[in-house]
Amino acid sequence: MSHLHIPDGVLPAALWLPGLVTAVLLILVSARSLRQESPQQVAYQGALGALVLAAMAVQVPLGPIEYHLSLVGPIGVLLGPASSFQVMFVASAVLAFLGHGGLTVIGLNALVLGAGSALARPGYDMFRRRFSPVAAFAAAAAVAQAVCGLLWMGLMTVGLRAHAWSGRPDGGGGGRFGVLALVGVPLWILGVAAETTVAFGIARFLARVRPDLLPAAKDTRAAEAA
Amino acid sequence: MIDALSQIDFLASANGSVWHRASALGKLGLMGGLVLLAVFTPSLRLLFAVHLVAWLLAGTSRVPLRLLAAAAGYPLFFSVLFAAATWDGTWEAPLRLVLRPLTASLGAVWLVSTTPYPDLFAPLSRILPRRVADGLFITYRALFDLIGRAERLWRSLRIRGATSVPPRQRLTVAGEGLATLVLYGFERSQRLYATMMLRGHSGRICGCRHYAEMSRADWLVAGVGALVAAAALAWWRVR
Repeated sequence: MSHLHIPDGVLPAALWLPGLVTAVLLILVSARSLRQESPQQVAYQGALGALVLAAMAVQVPLGPIEYHLSLVGPIGVLLGPASSFQVMFVASAVLAFLGHGGLTVIGLNALVLGAGSALARPGYDMFRRRFSPVAAFAAAAAVAQAVCGLLWMGLMTVGLRAHAWSGRPDGGGGGRFGVLALVGVPLWILGVAAETTVAFGIARFLARVRPDLLPAAKDTRAAEAA
Repeated sequence: MIDALSQIDFLASANGSVWHRASALGKLGLMGGLVLLAVFTPSLRLLFAVHLVAWLLAGTSRVPLRLLAAAAGYPLFFSVLFAAATWDGTWEAPLRLVLRPLTASLGAVWLVSTTPYPDLFAPLSRILPRRVADGLFITYRALFDLIGRAERLWRSLRIRGATSVPPRQRLTVAGEGLATLVLYGFERSQRLYATMMLRGHSGRICGCRHYAEMSRADWLVAGVGALVAAAALAWWRVR
């Protein structure tokens, strides 16, 4: 549900304009925090950004529906909060230029995807203390996807309320959240389940083939540094 | 979606409409104006006019109609959902909620199908932080390579019966397939970094400077812009 990108002209400017400003501020903050990183990391980030877009483009058949993955959680765990937010911003910008998701709402789309991916690494660190890397990776992906979906539905709810309050000619009848929830909630549950299972597959393969690509737990990193 | 992306990218460089000869900066300005007008106008007549202009632009860019409909129709599902949730019994509100995103996505498809990506991203890279701007170029360059690989991977999974197993197993297999793409992405980034170093990477990927080179075709872009501006002045408050 999180990467059903919000198009232009649906949400009021009072919502997307602060979203755009916040996203740009976060981009500046993340760029500042990553200025010591090597260009190789930028190249890796770019490759994973392309993977996000490729995963969004490919349809995974799940019974009667075709599901498009977003990989918010796995990218967040692999890259960390600052880099993954940049990746989600770039992915939203590229998609907006291709007519998928709006130009004015690049900020909101990036915030929805970026919030989930930014939470994934801290979540992974937390779960890693109790579970195996594979289980921690999947659990972090579940949290990331759940947060994205909740944010998406929260934004839609605020958007519906804003339409009701705006008093504009297209103000609508006040907004019926039930209609949105009827479509959104099942898709959200399906999204969390699908992304978690895919993340499990990714982590299982990486743990077998290139475990060094999976981040070490925070306490392990601290011990290594010491 | 994969086909649409690849075709749009191909048309941006290979097609030869009048819009292809116009500068990226002019087209970005016109598209930005169209989107903002569509989003902010309280006038339905002006919204219709802007929508018509978007169709005119897209229709004259030599993009096949099927591709245009596939690419521009993406926001329809979302808009219809939102329109259903806010429906007040009139036809005006849903019409606006459908026309606005459709106009914006038509404008976006017109822009990307007539502008090669280095020209399109170059002005943006001037205003974005270095890392993000570089990420924009690298992501787009890697996209078609990875999409091709993802497509081949999915095809081979289907041929080997991965789609006939239960959904949970299907998704785990899909995840393992995607992990091979993560590995490929990592190795690709190492090769790319080595290539950048060999070619004397200065710490920033600079887009080409053609994006601001004006040609005669820019007069046409300016003409359309003036027409839209005149319509906006005349009809801003007309219902």
